[in-house]
Amino acid sequence: MQLNINGQTVEHELDPQMPLLWVLRDVMNLTGTKFGCGVAACGACTVHVNGQATRSCVTPVSSVAGSRITTIESLGSADKPHALQLAWIAEQVPQCGYCQSGMLMAAADLLARKPKPTDEDIDQAMSNICRCGTYQRVKAAIHRAAGASA
Amino acid sequence: MKRRHLLLGSLAATGALVVGWGVLPARSRLGSPDNMLPTEGDIALNGWIKVMPDGKIVLAMHRSEMGQGVHTALSMLAAEELDVPLSHIRLEQAGHDSIYGNVAMFVGSLPFHPSLSEDGNKPATVRTGEWMVGKLARELGINVTGGSSTVADAWQPVREAAATARASLLSAAATQWQVPVTELQVTAGLISHSSGKKGHYGEFAKSASSITPPNVATKDPKNYKLIGQGAQRVDIPQKTNGSAVFGIDVRQPGLLYAAVVQSPLMGGSLSQLDAKAALALNGVLKCIELDSMSGSAAGFAVVGKTTWHAKQAALAVTAKWTQPQQGVVDTARIAKELQAKLDSESGFTFYDLGDVAKAESSAKRSLEATYSAPYLAHATMEPMNCTAQFKNGLLEVWAPTQSPGQARAAAAKAAGIDADKVKIHVTLLGGGFGRRLEVDFITQATKVAMACDGAPVQVIWSREEDMAHDFYRPMHVAQLKASLNAQDQVQSLRIKSAGDTITPRWMARTLPALAGPVDMPDKTASEGLFDLPYGFANQHMSHVATHMGVPVGFWRSVGHSHNAFFSESFIDELAHETKTDPLDYREALLTQAPRYLAVLQLAAQKAGWGSALSKGHAHGIALHESFGSIVAQVAEVSMRDGQPHVHRVVCAIDCGTVVNPSIVAQQMESAVVFALSAALFGKIDIQDGVVQQTNFPSYRMVQMAQAPKVETWIVPSTRPPAGVGEPAVPPLAPAVSNALFVLTGQRKRALPLLA
Repeated sequence: MQLNINGQTVEHELDPQMPLLWVLRDVMNLTGTKFGCGVAACGACTVHVNGQATRSCVTPVSSVAGSRITTIESLGSADKPHALQLAWIAEQVPQCGYCQSGMLMAAADLLARKPKPTDEDIDQAMSNICRCGTYQRVKAAIHRAAGASA
Repeated sequence: MKRRHLLLGSLAATGALVVGWGVLPARSRLGSPDNMLPTEGDIALNGWIKVMPDGKIVLAMHRSEMGQGVHTALSMLAAEELDVPLSHIRLEQAGHDSIYGNVAMFVGSLPFHPSLSEDGNKPATVRTGEWMVGKLARELGINVTGGSSTVADAWQPVREAAATARASLLSAAATQWQVPVTELQVTAGLISHSSGKKGHYGEFAKSASSITPPNVATKDPKNYKLIGQGAQRVDIPQKTNGSAVFGIDVRQPGLLYAAVVQSPLMGGSLSQLDAKAALALNGVLKCIELDSMSGSAAGFAVVGKTTWHAKQAALAVTAKWTQPQQGVVDTARIAKELQAKLDSESGFTFYDLGDVAKAESSAKRSLEATYSAPYLAHATMEPMNCTAQFKNGLLEVWAPTQSPGQARAAAAKAAGIDADKVKIHVTLLGGGFGRRLEVDFITQATKVAMACDGAPVQVIWSREEDMAHDFYRPMHVAQLKASLNAQDQVQSLRIKSAGDTITPRWMARTLPALAGPVDMPDKTASEGLFDLPYGFANQHMSHVATHMGVPVGFWRSVGHSHNAFFSESFIDELAHETKTDPLDYREALLTQAPRYLAVLQLAAQKAGWGSALSKGHAHGIALHESFGSIVAQVAEVSMRDGQPHVHRVVCAIDCGTVVNPSIVAQQMESAVVFALSAALFGKIDIQDGVVQQTNFPSYRMVQMAQAPKVETWIVPSTRPPAGVGEPAVPPLAPAVSNALFVLTGQRKRALPLLA
């Protein structure tokens, strides 16, 4: 099966039913995308498929063959971090950090669709679960990245 | 004589037998250079500090980072005393020497009333108890990250180690340059002299390693450059780009993956296993039976070439389970039994002041209420997991653990090898909250690795396994009774609670050599009830310890998490019953507790207590001390679609000296959201031995849309640092519930509020 992951085309023999999450983590060793619930309830596994936030734990890999898959590892680069990554540091968002890859990918999708989201937009778009309770800093960081005041 | 004093008396007597040892101060925790792993070019100066050739510093990191910011806070302590920027500190996992053991947490587990533990006001029993337990803990050297104790415990040893290293380095420079050491200056790790000589730490490390400086003093707080500043956390950049390594991110060459299935019947065992169909599947290697060990549930593991292959194969295994001999646990039945225990047993007295019986008999009237709180799961975002490899007689374990020493002992026991043949690598923890003080998942990974012929294997639990096989916050119930005189003043307060005690169970699972044949009274059962700050003249607080068969464990803020809901709701009931403003009511009872009063008033003032709120909104207030810190919270709540919505929570905290106020604010925000999930939705039900909640949809969490705005205000203090990770959990549920009472006129006496 041919996959386009983070701008590179890779070829792997894969069970078509295997969720994208485990292909990324256990086959590609791209471990930034996390396993949290396995039922698309927590958002820790969020990646972009053709730019759209997608919960990879319930996405059969065959359904994204030929699609553009982006993971946290290529949201930005060391030279050119994504505005959200800089905002995440400025607002000191992460605590344990486990859910933050998913949070960032969900937020990046939101900003791509709505460059100046309101609090209500953020409440609606960001359903990811964080047990450390970073929500208010996530919100502040999204506003910061959007260039608006929190 | 109170039983508590008898207990301490025997402890003191044991100590007195070892007369010389008993009176000497606890052994130094400076350690020796041998305690640090030798690395090419680096020179260790003691058990905590190594100097790199470029002058940067390696700090032995003995505690686990699970989001609470300890990698940053402890780095700040070392950087402060060494006069280097925070960016000059590298971290290296500490070894297993007893200098890294946790002393503060064990001293904090003594059941003393906080009013007795204020500095300068300690009776002999308190001083003796703390002295002896401190010395014992120093000798035992148990390295656990818990009890909000990391900064409090590391405050002396890490600063002393850094200050001692600095003194050695300066002494070496002074000798080499032949100038008085008092004329040297250090700026950003660069030693300089007015003669123009300068050099970084790395240039003097070798000669410093043979110098033992006498009488090193730590910095005068007025010279602090870092401590007290909101420095950026050192672990955050890697947590924004996917490069942070948690337990499940360990990748060794040839790594295999294992899915675990444990008895769905709590405490049950495996009676039949047929893995033929599973083993026939593509990418599946092994099926391994797992006995119950170190608290782990019985079950089996399936090993595959990816987690998904292992999970799929686990579904194809046919297993039969036998219910435990003691019968099937059921939370509805446990609730009834706890109530019956409260009615029939007197329990252990944790606090007795004045004469409650006499006060009750002369009272005009009384107010009584029964409160309850359910079992709770930890639900860390990173499910339980552990990676292990057994090769050439050596066992390597990569684990997100809060207890590396106990993990090593448990792994050695499971492998049947000596502990010195086990290497524990502590990864970042995707949440801990007390769950990772346990070692069940360590023994499982060890057992699986032992069967994998030298290959590394990663054991990962599904969310469903994680939720059904937790060590739960125990269900507790409490009866509270206040007697009032004709002027409606409280004459006495009597609280009796019942529920499982945690510490004896945890000791048996993780420190079996120290677990006694009988359960000692456990402070965690009564904390938050026996230790109230209010000036009631007559008080009696007792707890009936039970053992209901559900595995119970430490859950962020432990007994305080439910007991503050009981006590601070009841105080609110008393205020309303006597038609007094809840803030005024508390203030009047705190005239002898000025630190509590200051925290309470700060929260009330910043929240605008008493001022007009939006229509349909109400304030609730609560005050609680835990882990040496006092937190007050004012919650602003309204009803939205028939459900409570918390708009804003104002927190005030006195946690002693603050190392990093930005981390304190993070932890206040964190605790509020964590506690709000529990207060609104949290409960674990067990029916016929089976946990009913299976994943996040049925064990609901606060999400962005329900998260309140949290504000943090810190009371300045020069006292030693106290806890920060847990103390803002306990007051949240009563603050919200007290606001709800104003809104609805209905008093909630059982959690969760949305039952």
